[in-house]
Amino acid sequence: MLKINNLHARVEDKTILQGLNLEVNPGEVHAIMGPNGAGKSTLGYVLSGRDGYEVEQGEVSFNGKDLFDMDIEERASSGLFLAFQYPVEIPGVSNMEFMKESVNATREHRGEEPLSATEFLKMAKEACKQVQLPLDFLKRGVNEGFSGGEKKRNEIMQMILLKPSLCILDESDSGLDIDALQVVANGVNSQRDSARSFIIITHYQRLLDFIKPDFVHILANGKIVKSGDASLALQVEKEGYAFLGKEFEGVSA
Amino acid sequence: MSQWLNKVIDDAKGVDDFLAPMRQQARLKLETDGWPHARNEEWRFTPLSSLKERASNVSEMAASFEIPQVDGLESIDIVFVDGILRTDTSQLSLPTGLSVCTLRDASSDLQNDILALFGQVKPTRHIFGLVNDALCDQGVYIALEDNCRVDIPLRIINIATQDCDAHTRVLVNVGKNSQLKVIEHGTGSVASFTTAFAEYFIGEEAKLEHYRFAFFTGAAKQVGGSHFSLQASANLNSTFVSYGSELSRIDVDIIHAGQHAKAKMNAIYLLAEGEMFDMHSTIEHAVPNGTTEENARGIIGDRARAVFSGRIHIHRDAQKTLAELNNRNLLLSRRAIINTKPELEIYADDVQCAHGATVAEIEEQALYYLLSRGIKRSKALVMLNFGFIQELVNAINNEPIRQWLLPMLNERFASMEVK
Repeated sequence: MLKINNLHARVEDKTILQGLNLEVNPGEVHAIMGPNGAGKSTLGYVLSGRDGYEVEQGEVSFNGKDLFDMDIEERASSGLFLAFQYPVEIPGVSNMEFMKESVNATREHRGEEPLSATEFLKMAKEACKQVQLPLDFLKRGVNEGFSGGEKKRNEIMQMILLKPSLCILDESDSGLDIDALQVVANGVNSQRDSARSFIIITHYQRLLDFIKPDFVHILANGKIVKSGDASLALQVEKEGYAFLGKEFEGVSA
Repeated sequence: MSQWLNKVIDDAKGVDDFLAPMRQQARLKLETDGWPHARNEEWRFTPLSSLKERASNVSEMAASFEIPQVDGLESIDIVFVDGILRTDTSQLSLPTGLSVCTLRDASSDLQNDILALFGQVKPTRHIFGLVNDALCDQGVYIALEDNCRVDIPLRIINIATQDCDAHTRVLVNVGKNSQLKVIEHGTGSVASFTTAFAEYFIGEEAKLEHYRFAFFTGAAKQVGGSHFSLQASANLNSTFVSYGSELSRIDVDIIHAGQHAKAKMNAIYLLAEGEMFDMHSTIEHAVPNGTTEENARGIIGDRARAVFSGRIHIHRDAQKTLAELNNRNLLLSRRAIINTKPELEIYADDVQCAHGATVAEIEEQALYYLLSRGIKRSKALVMLNFGFIQELVNAINNEPIRQWLLPMLNERFASMEVK
C-alpha cells in the first residue's frame, strides 16, 4: 500500500523529516505519536503534496506507483486522503457542491460514471447523519463558521464519502470533547476493512482507546525512533517521552 | 474640446420640447466644463479618447433585433433599440396604480411631474449625464401611485444593434408606501455608443427592488447611471451585474433624502480578456438615521481593467448613520488591472462607517484543500473564485433572476483563463 523509504523533507530552509521509514499494508492501522515539532503534520502534508513542502531525499511508493510523480489531485483521486488538523473555511462554495465535485472526480479517475445530484444527495445525507452533523451543514459554505469539532466531523464525512484506500488523520482528536471524539472514532471504525489502511497522527493516547491501532510509532527529530504495538501508546501516556533521551525529559504526551 | 461634444452641443440647441429649459441648462454646463481633462479625477482611468473624436451617427430604425430574455421571468417589457423606443407604452397592460408614458407624449399634468424629477436625482457633475439631459428625446416616465404593490417586474431593455449614439432616459416615481421592481437590461456587442440614465424617486416607506444588467461587450460603448433618492423610511435593494467592453462605465448615486431609509446595493463585474468596466458609486447621507450597505465584487481577466470608485459622504447633520462599503477584486492574471479607490467624507461624529477594498490573487490554502480532495485544478479555480461572486448572486431575492444569472456567469467565468 504505502512504502516510505528514507524520506527527508524541508519547509523553507528547515529540514523537518530526516530519514523517515514506514511501511503500511492493506487493512493496517498505524498510529504516529511524538512530541511537538517532531514532524508529524509535515509527514501528512508531504504525502498529500502540499506546496512549500520540499522532498530532499527518499522515495515513497503508493499502491506500487511513485507518489512524487503525482499531482495533489491525482494522489487524492488515487485513494490518498488527509483529514486536516485545521481545515480551511471556504465561504461561497457549498459543502455539498464541494463534496459532490470531489466524489465525482474520484469516480471519474476510476472510470466510473458521475453521480447525479439526487444520488449524491442521498449518500451525503447518510454520511452527514453518521457523523452527527445537522443536514443544513451540507448547504453551508465549506467549513464556514463551523466549530473546531464540526470541522473535524466534516473531514470524517468526506472520508466516508470518498472511500479512500489510505486515510491519514492529522490530529483529528485535538480539541474534541469526549462525545465528538466518539463520533470521529465511530466514523473511522465504520470504514475499517481488510483493504483500507489508516495513519493516525495524534498527541494523545485517548483516541487510541476508541480506534485500536495495529502499530504505534514514535516520531522524533524527523524520524521514527521507536515502534511497537498498542501498549507503546499507553507507555507514552504514562511516562512521557523521557525514554527518547535527555532532551525529552519532562515532555509529557 | 472634442469634435463629438461640439456636435452634441449643436444638436442640443435644436431640441425644443417641454424639457427645453433643463436641456439648455445642461448644454450651457457642457459648454463651460468642456471635455474632461486627462487628469480629471472622475475620469482618470476611463478611456475616453476613442469617444472624443467620434463621428456621431443618427440611428436608423433597426429592421430586426432580439430581445434578451430572463428565462422563467414574467415581466412587463419596455424596449429601446438603438435609442428608439419600440414598445407602444399605451398598449401595455399594467397593474392598478402603475402608469408608463413616454417623454414625447406626456400630458401637461404629467409634464409637471416629469419636470419635478428630470435631472433632480442625478448629479450634474457627470458629463455624459448632461449629454443625456440635452439629447434624450426618447425616454419613459413610470409612476406608481401611493399604497400600491406591484409584483411583476418592469424591464427596461436597451439593445445596441448599429453604430449610432443612443440616449435614453428612465424616470421612476414610486409613491408612498408602494412597492415596485425595475430591471434595467442592456445588451449589445457591435460598435455603438449608449448613454442610459435612470432616476428613481422612492417615496416615504416605499420599496424598490432594482436590477441593472449591463451586458455591453466588444465595441459596444456605454456610459450610464442609476440614481436613487430615498425619502423617509424608504427601502432600496439593488443589484448590478456588468461585463466589460471597450468603454463601459456606470455611475450610481444613492441619496438619503429622508430619515430611516435603508439601502442595500450589490455589484458584480466579470471582465473577460481585454475588457474594461468602471463603476463610480456615491452614497450621500444628507439626513440622520440612514443605513447603507454596499458590496461590489469583481473578477478581472487577462489584460482587462476594472475601476471602482466608492465614495461615502456623510453630511454634518446625518448623525446615527450606518454606512458600509466593501469592494473585493480578484485578478486572474498579472496583466489584469484594478484601480479601486475608497473615499470617505464624514462630517457627523456619531456614525458607524466601514469601508474597505481588497485585491486578491488565487487563495493558495483553499486551492490546496480542494485539490487534496481530488478536484482538478481548473475546476477548483472556478469553484473558488466563482464562489466569491456566487455569494452575491445568492443574495438576490428573485428566484428566476438568480437561476438565470448563475449558470450564465459561471459559463462566462469558466471560459476565462487564469494566467
